[in-house]
Amino acid sequence: MLREPLYIVAGVRTPYSKMGTLFAGMAADELGRLATVELLARTGFDPARIEEVIFGCVAQPAESANVARVIALRSGIPQHVPAVTVHRNCASGFEAVTQAAEKIIAGRGDVFLAGGAESMSQVPLLYRDSAAKKFGTLARAKGLGNRVSAMLNFRPADFSPIIGLQLGLTDPVCGLNMGETAENVARDFGITREEQDQFSLRSHQRAIAARERLREEIVPVLLPAGKPGAPAVMQDDNGPRENQTMAALAKLKPVFERDTGTVTAGNASQITDGAVALLVMNEKGLKESGLQPLGKLVAYAYAGCDPSRMGLGPVFAIQAAQKKFGLGIKDADLIEINEAFAAQVIGCQRAARSDDFCRQHLGRESALGDIPDEILNVNGGAVALGHPVGSTGARLVLTALKELHRRKAKRALVSLCVGGGQGGALWVETA
Amino acid sequence: MANLHREVTASHVCVLTFDRPDSVANIFDEATFAELNAHLDFLASPEAREIKGVIFCSAKPKIFLAGADLIGFTKDPSMEKLERLIETGQQTFRRITMLPVPSVAAIHGLALGGGCEITLACDYRVASTSRETKIGLPEVQIGILPGWGGSTILPRLIGLPRALEVILGNKQLAAVPALKAGLVDAVGPRESLRELAEKQVIRGKRGSLPPQLMNLPPAAAFIARQARANVLAKTGGHYPAPLKALEVVIAALRGTVEQGFALEKKAFAELATGDVARHLIGIFLLQERSKKTRLPADLIAPAEAPRKIERVAVVGAGVMGAGIAQWLAARGTSVLLKDIAAEPLAIGMQSIRKLFRDGVQRRRFTGTEARAALDRIVPVAGDVPLRRVDLVIEAAVERLDLKQQIFRGLEAATAADVALATNTSALSIDAIAGALPDPSRVVGIHFFNPVHRMQLVEIVRGDRTSALALETALRFVKGIGKLPVIVRDRPGFLVNRILTPYLSEAGRLFQEGYAVADIDNALERFGMPMGPLRLIDEVGLDVGRHVATDLAARLTTPQGRPVPAMDEMIARKWFGKKSGQGFYVHAGKGKPTLNADVERLPGVAARRPADAKLFLDRLILPMINEAARVLEENVVEAPEDVDFGMIMGSGWAPFRGGPLRYADSLGAAKIVADLESLAGRFGESFRPSARLQSMAAGGRRFYP
Repeated sequence: MLREPLYIVAGVRTPYSKMGTLFAGMAADELGRLATVELLARTGFDPARIEEVIFGCVAQPAESANVARVIALRSGIPQHVPAVTVHRNCASGFEAVTQAAEKIIAGRGDVFLAGGAESMSQVPLLYRDSAAKKFGTLARAKGLGNRVSAMLNFRPADFSPIIGLQLGLTDPVCGLNMGETAENVARDFGITREEQDQFSLRSHQRAIAARERLREEIVPVLLPAGKPGAPAVMQDDNGPRENQTMAALAKLKPVFERDTGTVTAGNASQITDGAVALLVMNEKGLKESGLQPLGKLVAYAYAGCDPSRMGLGPVFAIQAAQKKFGLGIKDADLIEINEAFAAQVIGCQRAARSDDFCRQHLGRESALGDIPDEILNVNGGAVALGHPVGSTGARLVLTALKELHRRKAKRALVSLCVGGGQGGALWVETA
Repeated sequence: MANLHREVTASHVCVLTFDRPDSVANIFDEATFAELNAHLDFLASPEAREIKGVIFCSAKPKIFLAGADLIGFTKDPSMEKLERLIETGQQTFRRITMLPVPSVAAIHGLALGGGCEITLACDYRVASTSRETKIGLPEVQIGILPGWGGSTILPRLIGLPRALEVILGNKQLAAVPALKAGLVDAVGPRESLRELAEKQVIRGKRGSLPPQLMNLPPAAAFIARQARANVLAKTGGHYPAPLKALEVVIAALRGTVEQGFALEKKAFAELATGDVARHLIGIFLLQERSKKTRLPADLIAPAEAPRKIERVAVVGAGVMGAGIAQWLAARGTSVLLKDIAAEPLAIGMQSIRKLFRDGVQRRRFTGTEARAALDRIVPVAGDVPLRRVDLVIEAAVERLDLKQQIFRGLEAATAADVALATNTSALSIDAIAGALPDPSRVVGIHFFNPVHRMQLVEIVRGDRTSALALETALRFVKGIGKLPVIVRDRPGFLVNRILTPYLSEAGRLFQEGYAVADIDNALERFGMPMGPLRLIDEVGLDVGRHVATDLAARLTTPQGRPVPAMDEMIARKWFGKKSGQGFYVHAGKGKPTLNADVERLPGVAARRPADAKLFLDRLILPMINEAARVLEENVVEAPEDVDFGMIMGSGWAPFRGGPLRYADSLGAAKIVADLESLAGRFGESFRPSARLQSMAAGGRRFYP
């Protein structure tokens, strides 16, 4: 176990909103602020006592470099409290939490605000290099003649933008899009389209059934839009579909491999905006605060794997954590594995129970063990709820802890795969 | 005592720094002029041969020069004194212009009135880009006109259209707009002002100003006609100063500067000796008086200083709660805006966002400032810890049981020294404090609607309110830039108490068959910003009835007859502005139009011809009667409080000086006689109060 546990004292998140819908006009700092101010209001905690604010964010807004600092200041956290933004792709929300744990173990403070914020709606479109050069020439051009000739250099193609989001979801090392890595996993383990769609249907059904429960962790967002006198309030995630059917899922075309592929928009995570804020402390900070903790982080590990099969990252991380701290799948009352792709979560289940895979890739004598469907992602996962990449890690911790309380259970394993070929695994317990 | 310091720099520039002792402001009084003239004597003397230029600046952090000494002015408003005052200013400023060396005003902070005019006398002006810096000529607002050269020189410097915005419209320019307008020659940070000013000195004496196209006769005549029409539309002809100022500005354009100065002087003397200027200056002084409000003499100042108010919880996100939250956030205070559910919060936040958007559009804030302010408001649904809150302002629904319940929760949730304020406009503070273990924490802080426009705040002292709670409220209200008046916990406090008989009587006139437009027009002609029925629409018929019923139940004085026609309007949900119709139809942004349907309501008598004299008697005299009772019952301490409260809280005809100044102009005997006659014709509610009767008998006035 960690030399000093990290108490997760309280947490709040915004609803998760599909890209281009209700939060489309809000940047990551605004989403992070909404979660943070609600967290501070609900706990009544004096933000002057926070040692540092740590936020995960993958696509940092161009206008808020170090978005954590912007969130902190806009949330009324005094300016003497520093802030840092962390990035481990889809595990950025984990990274915020585990960095707080590391700082506490290193004796660098007692109280941290950790979280994740992401606006995937606002990932910018980019000009290609050739166009950028021409804009540079134009800006430097003096005199009308030079300016006109600089303008005449532009070609129509210069104005067709590169989609930043697509760029972010492509691994520059192996050259594959995230969806293509999921196709690899599906092929390796022979996971059919139907299995993936079944998994996805269940994710929606569980998320719909969990709506009331999830409200415990959500702050309703008072949207600036709406008619005068009847503004809109968003209090639930808008990803889960009440009437999701297998037939509807079956109609969708594979996105990444048109003809033979199995990964569709329906069995992949939704692209979403949202933010999470967690108040975390060591034992000393907790005692001084007088607050009741939600739970604690007792163990964690990150591990690397094949970037072209990044979806299997959780298995590697679970093994790494077991090696370091002795906790294995059997010790979990509840498991969350982020649903980047249905194929990849099913792949993790298959890999974990395969003696062969575990011998070959994890250096184990035998399989890691069974990840039972009954305790896996019981309130639905990213296929239904969505995956605002920088915030998801922190959400999984929050959602799992709340569920442990509801079940009066003790321990949860929370894991996710990371683009670039990594996995993260966190063990949390009720305090 | 030295108001002005002189220093000569190594480069032979003379720097004259205004620094009035023991004051945050610099003003022009006789002593300051004497000193200034002595320094000008020095500049003309052989000793000053080496001097290459002169720079005027201020040592105050927020004020360059705030203009003439109004208090000294009102103490002795004789014609002779006035003429001397004008002449001294004009001559002194002309001396500056005529100096053989260049003169520069280095403006940081407010440069208003005479403070602006001295800079106009200089060859050059430089201004700091600080937020504090504003240059303007607000004289017309207090019923006079710029008389130390402002009316003559400003149009020559920046052209007639812009000059009229400043002189008639009270537009005050920050550094950058002033630079664009041509009012100043350079701008920069406060720290670099001296350097900027010295650069102007090097430019040498300024030649004559280039001609302004808009000042030429055909354009000027056109602009003047437009301006005159605007002024008349705005003031209803009650205010002579803007018309006079316009006349002087236009006439001064046609002659020499000296002729312009003569015109200014003549017009100033005329205006300044009139009643309107006296009343308007009086209001200005009442505002200054309000800023200095202290605890009532019978209270001992609290032993410990009240908390610094950094975080306020506002309970209730309705119109008032949202308005208060917006004002506080804009002034830098953090606000926890609490309501029972997300939906009312969302409506409140929507109106707050709109206020900030409008503020950005009107350039009251920058976008960044507006967002920072909006971020200071944290809306929360349900109960959250309030341990870190420094003050609570409750603005929930006006129901006593509900408020009592809220205050029980608030008392337990907050620190023991936190004042618990209610924004109630009618309920008793003492009743709200009810059975709290510590009722002394409860105090009234009554804002008026719309919060961002109404400067007045009634601070209500309950019978059990502690000195600490009252002092907290007082400091808080002053700190957020509002003007407090301390009132006793009597029904309706000050403003609503006096306004209620007025509004109720207007309803009765309507019911008797007088036309809505006739009633409202008569009162607008009297000088009210809007007629009483229009005001009822603004307040809301339901709210108005609630206040009136509450007052009727708690006061022992006879009340007027009920108005079933208005009950019928409430039953039909014709609440006024908020529901889209009342006495008027309120659609969109334009001016509301008459609601023809109201005259067909059951109970409304057949149309009668307008009778303006009757309207004024039946509407204004009961207000005076009620104001006399307010003094009788010690709701406020002085007649000044009544007039100040009514002008600032209800817009009561400012140029008449307030209801009690107006009463003094009528005389108590006439008021009593008229009220007796009204009581005979229209009922006991008109019967003059004991105070008025004794005043009439003793020939006394409200004011000494």
